[in-house]
Amino acid sequence: MTVVGRTWERLTIPGKILAVVIPLGAVLTAGLAVLIALVGGAVVQFLVDNLPLVRFVVAATIVLLMTVPSAFLIIYMEMKVIALMNLRYGPDRVGPFGSALSVVHGLKVLMKEDFTPTSADVPVFTLAPVVVYMSSVMSLLVLPFAPGIFGQDFNIGLLYFFAMGGLTVVGLLMAGWASFNKYSLLGGLRSAAQIVSYEIPLTLSVVGVVLLAGTLSINKIVLGQAGTVLDWYVFRQPLAFVIFFIAVTAEANRTPFDLTEADSEIVAGFATEYSGMRFGFFFFAEYVNVFIASGLTVALFMGGWNAPFNWPWPVTVGLDPGGLGIGLLFLLALGPPLAIVVLGLPFYLLNSQVKFWQALIIGFVLFNLLAVAAVLGLAFVSFDWVVGLLWFMGKTYVFVFTFVWMRGTLPRVRIDQLMGFAWKWLLPASLLNLFVTAGAILVVNR
Amino acid sequence: MTTRTPFDIPAHASSDDPRVTLDEALGTFEPIPPYPPRTEREAEFYTLRDGEMFVNMGPQHPSTHGVLRIVLKIDGENVVDLDPVLGYLHRGVEKLCENADYHQAICYTDPLEYISSLFCEWSPVIAFEKLLDVQVPRRAEYIRVLSGELNRIASHALFMGWFALDLGGLTPILWSFIERDEIVEMLAALTGQRMLFNYFRIGGVNGDLNHEFMSRLGTWMSKATHQIDSNNALLNENEIFVRRARGLGVIDTATALNMCMTGPNLRATGVPFDVRRAHPYSIYPELDFDIPSRTEGDCLARYLLRMDEIKQSLRIIDQCLHEMPDGPVMAKMPRLIRPRPGRAYAAVEGPRGQYSTYAISDGTDQPYRMRIHDPSFVHLQAVGLLTPGNLIADTMAIMASLDPVMGGVDK
Repeated sequence: MTVVGRTWERLTIPGKILAVVIPLGAVLTAGLAVLIALVGGAVVQFLVDNLPLVRFVVAATIVLLMTVPSAFLIIYMEMKVIALMNLRYGPDRVGPFGSALSVVHGLKVLMKEDFTPTSADVPVFTLAPVVVYMSSVMSLLVLPFAPGIFGQDFNIGLLYFFAMGGLTVVGLLMAGWASFNKYSLLGGLRSAAQIVSYEIPLTLSVVGVVLLAGTLSINKIVLGQAGTVLDWYVFRQPLAFVIFFIAVTAEANRTPFDLTEADSEIVAGFATEYSGMRFGFFFFAEYVNVFIASGLTVALFMGGWNAPFNWPWPVTVGLDPGGLGIGLLFLLALGPPLAIVVLGLPFYLLNSQVKFWQALIIGFVLFNLLAVAAVLGLAFVSFDWVVGLLWFMGKTYVFVFTFVWMRGTLPRVRIDQLMGFAWKWLLPASLLNLFVTAGAILVVNR
Repeated sequence: MTTRTPFDIPAHASSDDPRVTLDEALGTFEPIPPYPPRTEREAEFYTLRDGEMFVNMGPQHPSTHGVLRIVLKIDGENVVDLDPVLGYLHRGVEKLCENADYHQAICYTDPLEYISSLFCEWSPVIAFEKLLDVQVPRRAEYIRVLSGELNRIASHALFMGWFALDLGGLTPILWSFIERDEIVEMLAALTGQRMLFNYFRIGGVNGDLNHEFMSRLGTWMSKATHQIDSNNALLNENEIFVRRARGLGVIDTATALNMCMTGPNLRATGVPFDVRRAHPYSIYPELDFDIPSRTEGDCLARYLLRMDEIKQSLRIIDQCLHEMPDGPVMAKMPRLIRPRPGRAYAAVEGPRGQYSTYAISDGTDQPYRMRIHDPSFVHLQAVGLLTPGNLIADTMAIMASLDPVMGGVDK
């Protein structure tokens, strides 16, 4: 046995770990430093050169991370609103007013067994939820949330959007076929028939808006609606708005068009054999689709992030911290402690129950709240995208509420009524709308 | 016509067949019975034509109203044929009754139709009273009618909710459960149980009206009409609901009579037959109420007819409360009942139709034979008649509109 071996034997287990980790860390750090020194400039240069690509990757990550919280929010909203319509309490145990219930649901879904039926077509069965979820997430990429806040602004944004929406049906059909279950198969075929049929009036109803805006880019369509509430396309294309909203409801598989997962007929449709997180993907995709459908309705017809009247902001706030010179340092060092004491003092003086350290804690909390409020208020006043985001989200959640409201009120249509409605009523109406719009544009532009 | 089964297993291979292994049998997932066909109808039904497939619906399906199993033969979305499989809830109630004395027999009939238990008690009670030749006190008869009509409203309210739920509406079931729950709670105050009341006795009822029941009833009656109207407004003017229910599952009068249908399902075809008027029992001849009837015979008519019946039941309850006499609620009865040998038949009009009991006494303290006629069983036969040619979604609508309860079907 060598010297090294004997030394190694004498070490305790933490000692062994440290003896490995410290030299390894040192080598790696040195290597990283050398690497940065050698190629760091090139990497930065590469990132700067390919800024659109970097922007795309960052945007895609943010959009992907955004889906789950927004789905949670909509699920909670649906549970609570439908409960109130049903004269029930709804979730009220987990978190304030039961608001954490959908998070707990998500965790439960993650922990459940990931079950595959014996006779299922395993690769297709595994891929189907991914395809459905992916198509939803990719649709989100072109949705303009606020001025400058969007994943990507394509020239063909709307076309891309409908292409991604149409991809959902592939996933549902895959799920229906691969489950080796007749209810699943029926659900998958129903979704294929339904989504393909409603794609046509959906696309045709938007063509009127596209003609008015002169572009397929959703961002430019939103910009075209700037001004007051009267400039929104819903007032120039009311018929298209109605057709679009009905068709988008069918596309999102929502009541009264939720035939694909009609629980009283075909148990759970395409999702019958899915469990655990695979089912969770379908579930998330459905609610992300609700968000997307509402968001697109807002972007195309309700002015997107535009305020309904001339919004006076952004205003330029004449703050110049550099003008304070060395005073800035004093402000940063002494401002917070002084503010904490000043805010906490009234509690100490006016209430004999409160001890001084408790008053300091109250002051600390109050100061933080005030600071956050000040920062947010400053952002709200000086950046137009904050206001735009608020307007967009507000309008979108009004439509999300409408979807939930319909689910609480309406029964389900039958498959023949569903198809007849698409082909006999929506399609002619959308064609009529298109011709009238085109004629009007010809007459006005002449 | 070819017989087609997955994995090349013979169509009706027995489990004794060495070619059938357990794995393969599990792998088929077909609802084909593992024995050779017993009847021509079964042989024809379990033979698939091109493009057809079986869907096994139930016994755990969400909308089969209990443990009914239906094997649907479908072609795309169209239902070609169907085969109801019964017996998952069979308890042998009639035989159990023969081994119990007359008082105990009423307990066994109670859970037959667990949604309207009072009527399942009512018809054997009347039959036994006929056997014994007992005169029931007037107050007991009024209390029976009062509680029975309340139970009818509860049952019809539940029907409205389930019908809407099977058509995809989430809210009506919870709205209608408010009605049902209030009625069930007030009946619990009267009888001591929420569902299986066991309240009627041979010769009267178990207890007199009490304060809690009367106060609950008064509170509910003051708002009942308004609540029922608001529940109906949710559905009656709903375009999707009306379009789905109208013209669906039409039964004509002759078929309904030939199939021995009774109750609202018969009255929806234009025959105003009601046991309460046709073969009066209890105090119904003295009460003033109408027998609503409709002529369309479709699902919507059956739904609307039940809503009309709720209003008539409210009228009856009102009259009962105004005209209820004082007096005992139980006739003088011996503790051990031994009727003279003989036979008796009694029918009452329940929320689903005619419940009737045929009891034979041989002079002992137990019924020698007892047979119960349940309307749900009769009405369930119509599902096989009405559904073929419709869509899968309509199967549920038709079944819900006929309003069968599997507890009564399987007995």
